[in-house]
Amino acid sequence: MTETIIFYMLTAVILLSALGVVLLPGLMHSALCLGLCLAGVAGIFASLGSDFVFAAQILVYVGGIAVLILFVVLLAGSASDKIVRQVNDQWLPSLLICAAFFWAFLKITGYFSGIPAAAAPSPSVRAIAALMLGDYAVPFELISVVLLASMTGAVLFGRRKAQ
Amino acid sequence: MTLSYYLALSGLLFTIGLFGVLTRRNVIGILMSIELMLNAANINFVAFNRFLYPGQYAGQLNAIFIITLAAAEVVVGLALVMAIYKNIKSVYVEDYNILKG
Amino acid sequence: MLEYVYILPLLSFAVAGLILAFGRWLPLKGASAGILVAAWGFSQGLMLFVKAIQGTITLPYEMSIPWFSFGGNQATLGVYVDGLTIAMLIVVTAVSLLVQIYSTGYMHGDPRFKRFYCYLSLFTASMLGVTLTNNMMVFFMCWELVGVCSYLLIGFWFEKQSAAYAGKKAFITTKLGDLGFLVGLMVLFYATGTFEISKIQELAHAGMIPAAAAGAAGILMFLGAAGKSAQFPLFIWLPDAMEGPSPVSALIHAATMVAAGVYMVARLYAVYALSPIAMDTVAWTGAITAFMAASLALTCFDLKRVLAFSTVSQLGYMMMALGVGGFTAGMFHLTTHAYFKALLFLAAGSVIHAVHTNDMREMGGLRHKMPITYITFLLGTLALCGIPPFAGYFSKDEVLAAALARNPVLFAIGAMAAAMTAFYMARALVMTFHGKPKDAHKHDHAHESPAVMTGPLILLGAVSVVSGFVLTRHEMFEHLVNFEGALPFELHHVNHSAVALFSSIVAALSMSLGVWLYKARPDIPAACRETFSPIVNMLEKRYWLDAFFLKLVDIGDSLSRFMFSFDFNFLDQIAIDGWAWLTLKLSKIQGWLDDHVVDAALNATGTITMSAGRMARLAQTGLVQNYLLFVAIAVSIFAAIAFAG
Repeated sequence: MTETIIFYMLTAVILLSALGVVLLPGLMHSALCLGLCLAGVAGIFASLGSDFVFAAQILVYVGGIAVLILFVVLLAGSASDKIVRQVNDQWLPSLLICAAFFWAFLKITGYFSGIPAAAAPSPSVRAIAALMLGDYAVPFELISVVLLASMTGAVLFGRRKAQ
Repeated sequence: MTLSYYLALSGLLFTIGLFGVLTRRNVIGILMSIELMLNAANINFVAFNRFLYPGQYAGQLNAIFIITLAAAEVVVGLALVMAIYKNIKSVYVEDYNILKG
Repeated sequence: MLEYVYILPLLSFAVAGLILAFGRWLPLKGASAGILVAAWGFSQGLMLFVKAIQGTITLPYEMSIPWFSFGGNQATLGVYVDGLTIAMLIVVTAVSLLVQIYSTGYMHGDPRFKRFYCYLSLFTASMLGVTLTNNMMVFFMCWELVGVCSYLLIGFWFEKQSAAYAGKKAFITTKLGDLGFLVGLMVLFYATGTFEISKIQELAHAGMIPAAAAGAAGILMFLGAAGKSAQFPLFIWLPDAMEGPSPVSALIHAATMVAAGVYMVARLYAVYALSPIAMDTVAWTGAITAFMAASLALTCFDLKRVLAFSTVSQLGYMMMALGVGGFTAGMFHLTTHAYFKALLFLAAGSVIHAVHTNDMREMGGLRHKMPITYITFLLGTLALCGIPPFAGYFSKDEVLAAALARNPVLFAIGAMAAAMTAFYMARALVMTFHGKPKDAHKHDHAHESPAVMTGPLILLGAVSVVSGFVLTRHEMFEHLVNFEGALPFELHHVNHSAVALFSSIVAALSMSLGVWLYKARPDIPAACRETFSPIVNMLEKRYWLDAFFLKLVDIGDSLSRFMFSFDFNFLDQIAIDGWAWLTLKLSKIQGWLDDHVVDAALNATGTITMSAGRMARLAQTGLVQNYLLFVAIAVSIFAAIAFAG
């Protein structure tokens, strides 16, 4: 029962804040909503018993990405954002397409209806660590290479051009 | 709580994100919408892992990878946005049309 | 020395070039070089002659180098020397030498003196080529070169219209004959497969040439000889060739070039001997020529033309001799005739040099003014008329004896020609040197020629007197140019001395008659001219042969004119212009089609492509979100398909 209440609360938070991200005219507000939304998702992870993913979500998304976006909004945003229309001309077809997508998702959801959780969640950090350094060692290392490359690229883009 | 609830949540979140990607004029807004979609995918991974493959952790591991890649994507994307903003002085994607013939 | 005989023509060619290029700086403007080479050549010829008589060299001698090959045949360059060659070699070099010496006086002060000697050297070289070559191809080439030299020298004073015309006439007429020569050469090559004289002779002796082929080749090649040696009916060019300088007349148109035709027939005698028809053609043509030319000389007043007709007549004799099988007689007459006819021409040149006219009616009484010229001319006349013991007596008698042995009719014609020869020569002698001067002014200015001119005259006079006598001693000439080929018929043995006696008496009588008529009773010939005016007219018109050839040319002209009008009026106007008109119309239609169909199709393609592109461009908005929308639509469509499936 508690689980259900928590789920609906988190769902409400996630969906509302997501709508805020998409619909609010001010970028600042959008970014704040994004942080809230990501935190809600983290809650969902926690409710699903994935402790390590929950931690990573809080650390990377809420603590890193959301804050980073916030900084960029501070740098690139302007006061006129609130006056200028933030939605483009193709919102109506987009809405229809999105409706179609949602219908499709619901259809897929229907296939998986009525599957209960088999067992209570258990801590998974140790197992994930074993996987990361075991079977998935190569993708893990590749991810690190990707991170290094993206960091280098970011530094290169952000650098002031040599006069 | 069954799997379908989580899948429905994920679907809604993805659809909202998609709508944002398709309609927001602000490029930073688009990036944020993409994050929403990635999170919807993550929810799916973790939920499937929880309900269909208990005792296995590959789904969670994928979620970890996606989070990492999302971080990298955001870093590069924002750096690009800043670089473009420095040149074009605009954050609206309609203005990013210098390649249009 | 026999090995080096090939140098003779080559050296003469070289000297011709040398005179042309550097004649200005050579002594005597290049004449010295030409004379030296001719003298050397003559000495060589004389040495060869002596050795051949002594028998210290083996004849025939042949030497050749490969030239080029065609098909499976090998053409060669080389020399072929036998007794005939040596006889001809001496004639050519001796007359050439004397004429070149004589010309230093005759042509003195001429503006084109250098060129004259260049031509003379070139002529000598070509003639030596004709004489020495071992190959009918080279023979033909040199033969043509000789013709070119003749053309150049006849028209040497080309400022004179008549000289230019005479040169052209000579060239074209001989060319007409050369056409036959060329075809005959081809027939001969077809029959024998070779151009080499020695091989042709071998094949002919072995009887490997069919009589028909030999006859065809012989008659066709005789056409060339008729052109070159001025035989009937192609002799019309020779009298006009007298427009050239007198030394040229002596060298080319009396002694050497005109003898080339005779020489050619003699060279290929083995081929002629195979075909009685060819032999008869040669004999009868020669006889007719001898008679006609002699008759033509009777009425002529131009001194050089009288001599020219005489030359034609004597060439006819030679041909007749060859035709009746008197090979040795013909060649002997060629040799002696070369000397005394050259002498006569040079003497005539000396006279003309003195009085500046060719017309005998303006001469007369020059005997005392020009004693040396007179004496030498007299010697030449006696030689030509066949009065013993001069050269002509021996050779002409042999010719007549050979004719009698073969056919009495030919003998009769020959005898009549001989009588006429004696008559017209007497007439020329008397009209020129005897009697009263008819033109006092010209007579007063006449004078004896310089030593360079009289020297050769005296030499030739001496040769004319003795050559017949010397060469018949121990049958020297017969040993040299005997022909051991089998004749197709038997020659009857005739009483040689009887013929000699008969012809001598005829000649002497005829000559006396001429001298008497023109010296004592010049009114009788004048009366005869009146009485027999139709005949005289015919002779002055040269049996209308000139008119005949002109008519031929006229017919050719009108044929071409008709062809031209056909070409112009029909082919040009209707066929070609009509075709052009049709083409123009078709092009216009095609142009319209091109503009309105082909181009329109092309333009339409372009337009369609452009509008399609414009439409396609609408999709390319350049907006990222647009594209994403399309992606989303596509994905949803695929999803719909997946679900429907």
